[in-house]
Amino acid sequence: MKKWLIAILMVVMVFSAFAVKITIWTSEAQAPILTKLADEFKSIYGIEVEVVQVNFGDIKSKFLTAAPAGEGADIIVGAHDWVGELAANGLLEPIPFLPEKEQYLPTPLEAFTYNGKLYGIPYAFDGPALVYNKDYVEEPPKTFDELIELAKQIQDEYEGEVRGLVYDFKNFYFSSFAIFGYGGYVFGEKDGKINVKDIGLANEGAIKGLSLIKRLVDEGILESGDNYNVMDGLFKDGQAAMIINGPWAVPGWREAGIDFGVAPIPDLEPGVHPKPFFGAQGFMVNAKSPNKLYAIEFLTKFIATKDIMYRIYLADPRVPSRKDLLPMVDDVTRAFAEFLGNYGLPMPNVPEMAGVWGAMGDAISKALDQGIPVEQALKEAVDTILAGIK
Amino acid sequence: MILIPPFLKYAGGDAMTRVWKFIGWILLALFNAFSIWGALFLFQKGFYELSITFFVLIVLIDFFIFNRKSYPFRYMIPAIILLFILVLYPIAFTIKTAFTNYGTGHIMTRQEVVDRLLTDPVYTYVPNDAKEYNYEVFVEFNGIEPTDDFKLIVITPNGDKYIMGEIKSIRVQAGKMLLGEANLKEIDDYNLIKEGDKIIAIVDEDKTYRYFYSPDDIDTAINEVFFKSKIGFPLLSKVEIVDFQGNRLSMRFSEDGTLRLKSIRHLYRLSLSEVVENGKNVVKTVLVNDITNKPLLEENGTFYDFDENGEKKPVMGYISYVGTKNFSQIFTDPTISGPFMKIFLWNFTYAALSVLFTFVIGLSFALVLNNNSLKGRSLYRTLLIIPWAIPAFISVLIWKNGFFNETYGIINKFIVSGLFNKESIQWMTNPFWAKVAVLIVNTWLGFPYMMTVSLGALQSIPDELYEAASIDGASKGQRFWKITFPLLMTTVAPLLIGSFAFNFNNFVNIYLLTSGGPAIPNTSTPAGATDILISYTYKLAFEAGRGQDFGFASAISILIFFIVAGISFVNFRISGSFEEVNR
Repeated sequence: MKKWLIAILMVVMVFSAFAVKITIWTSEAQAPILTKLADEFKSIYGIEVEVVQVNFGDIKSKFLTAAPAGEGADIIVGAHDWVGELAANGLLEPIPFLPEKEQYLPTPLEAFTYNGKLYGIPYAFDGPALVYNKDYVEEPPKTFDELIELAKQIQDEYEGEVRGLVYDFKNFYFSSFAIFGYGGYVFGEKDGKINVKDIGLANEGAIKGLSLIKRLVDEGILESGDNYNVMDGLFKDGQAAMIINGPWAVPGWREAGIDFGVAPIPDLEPGVHPKPFFGAQGFMVNAKSPNKLYAIEFLTKFIATKDIMYRIYLADPRVPSRKDLLPMVDDVTRAFAEFLGNYGLPMPNVPEMAGVWGAMGDAISKALDQGIPVEQALKEAVDTILAGIK
Repeated sequence: MILIPPFLKYAGGDAMTRVWKFIGWILLALFNAFSIWGALFLFQKGFYELSITFFVLIVLIDFFIFNRKSYPFRYMIPAIILLFILVLYPIAFTIKTAFTNYGTGHIMTRQEVVDRLLTDPVYTYVPNDAKEYNYEVFVEFNGIEPTDDFKLIVITPNGDKYIMGEIKSIRVQAGKMLLGEANLKEIDDYNLIKEGDKIIAIVDEDKTYRYFYSPDDIDTAINEVFFKSKIGFPLLSKVEIVDFQGNRLSMRFSEDGTLRLKSIRHLYRLSLSEVVENGKNVVKTVLVNDITNKPLLEENGTFYDFDENGEKKPVMGYISYVGTKNFSQIFTDPTISGPFMKIFLWNFTYAALSVLFTFVIGLSFALVLNNNSLKGRSLYRTLLIIPWAIPAFISVLIWKNGFFNETYGIINKFIVSGLFNKESIQWMTNPFWAKVAVLIVNTWLGFPYMMTVSLGALQSIPDELYEAASIDGASKGQRFWKITFPLLMTTVAPLLIGSFAFNFNNFVNIYLLTSGGPAIPNTSTPAGATDILISYTYKLAFEAGRGQDFGFASAISILIFFIVAGISFVNFRISGSFEEVNR
């Protein structure tokens, strides 16, 4: 008889263990500051906020597994390009109102908007700009012709020991600036809605853009072995004069003792501005969470205020998405913010983006490594993307 | 002495055994309670198959323990549980998934989707002619502390006041209310304490509820946080209040962040409608859009709505059975069937050559290490096992970035162009060299395994055989081919087949080293020159289209299973001949 009593007692205990608590999944950069803020929130609202550190790469996949079953975090901190897939699966709650909306830069807000609704509160955004080592470059180039000339000059001067320009050019993310600058686009838009059947990655602009990258290879400025690690290693060793990279790498350069400056990526031609991809980071709310109103309250009333956003910036120095914080940040961050805020293009957040990365990476590799004509390589990429979408 | 509870002391028998037995019972009870809870939980969440299997397992386990005859079976319990969790369930789930459209946009069941469309506040709207209602919250105090016991007075736009009645749950998930409903009651049914026109307290069954909060009353703004966190969010936001005309009111966030009571309507409602299905008229429940009055279209496991212009837009998808579509797609879709043979041939070559190279190299090292006159054997053996000991995730990336990088890699920079002054090898961009690179790395990763296996097998070959052979005057070569090799193969052959099957699906090596690249020109598929079936499947199912397509991935993995099983079967038949030698 006793064992049944114990068994029943156990069941009761497990059921009563539920209590109201907001759970946040976040990666290691923001976890410490959010834990501190959670304590402050609790002292005001009496609602407990639990901050769980999850690897950035795992947050989305874990959320996709847990949320449909009504589990998982109430808030996730992640990238804006998750929005499409998560919202298409019905897992994200739209943010009903955002206080002081006019204080946000328009591009990060646009990044978190899907089908006309705001699905996240951006706190930071990042993307590539031109980073130069001041030992080799006094004045950053204004156009690509100047850049090519300068890169060659540096390579000649140091007899190949120092690279003029190096970056991860086979990665569509880093090479997108040229393709979009000339008028290429990923998905067309119709009546404010993304049309995934209209792909502008093989149009005249895209061809011109990829040809510009090809010119860098043909002129011996970029090498076929270049990738992100090579770029990062060379720049930190002082063996690269100019790179194209984002603000996430700033602490590494500082640690390596490099005297660097940040400038806009040069104009492709006089008057033709480059348009790089950028990503925004923000807070998203689980639509199937029973605590979603608590979560929205936590975000809109507490997190999305100027002083809290500034404290998040201090703890995790990325480019803040609030305009009113820009006067308070350092020069490097501001340089990134001004370039990306003016010319940046948020990566499309629709789920159909999944097939674009691989196909465009293949196209760049076909055109630049294997000598396939640029037009053909891009056309094949567009066909591949379309075949995947069906 | 250990203290023994009195009820055990007088129960007779060896007290210590009794204590242990008692602990055993407690553990079993805990296990049962936990498992039953788990099974109920799964059942509640809609995982019926899993929950039923869980119940069956619990009953079986208890039967094995309580029934004397089946006592020996209890040693099999862990094996049965592991077999089920690690083998049977994944297989069953994969097969089930292969016939569905489970993937991005289709991750909930139809019932869940319908429930959400009908009840989720996201799918409600505030009609154009909506009126805003004011409200006043009254709470009971415990001393000076407010509690979450409350009454709500609803004030209509005309100024009439009503009290919200009891809340009834309409939709519950895991013991929590997701949606509730409450009616309005006449205010005169309650005892009110008034100060002029203003109600300052409500008395109901010995409890006094004092005026606490109203969104427009500045004097109560200080109570807003308490109201929201203890009453507004956990309860009121999930309740729809129905007034006497049948209008629904609900709490919604307003622009200033306060909760306001607004009249709302559900965007979708259930309705019976006659549709033609298989030539027959069937009455079916359909979802109807409340604004346009048009029924939602269900197609390919997705609900579609039509806007004012009649344009179709997806609302939400659900998991639906698609029959053999995923399988037929493999054979009819040109992006899959086109490069299939090419990929299959390379896949076969890759697995076969990997086995061959690792075995030849592993066996050579094993023969050397098996020589008793070699000094420092254990040192060599340790060194040779290193490739096996380093996680492939690290060593493959070192190979990729450190050795095969076309400009900075050690092979090109120091050996090819440094030492021989030749043009650098295009490791990652030339299809042939990419395949060579993949095989080099895989051989490096795999030979220690073959070496260890061969070493063990060599040591089991009795020395007398060699002695007899050398007395008969057999040469070294003869001794190897006539004694060592056949005897070795009897033990190693099944392992070679296993290794073939493993390498056939060796996703990690390919994905980390080349990601299947370089791309094959003149095609519009994501196929690359070093792609094997499993890596190509990964690209198609998770890196193309809309992201994740578990149904399709399951279908292909079932196909790959049959391919590997077929090849292994043939191999076993062939290698069976080696066993004849032994007999």
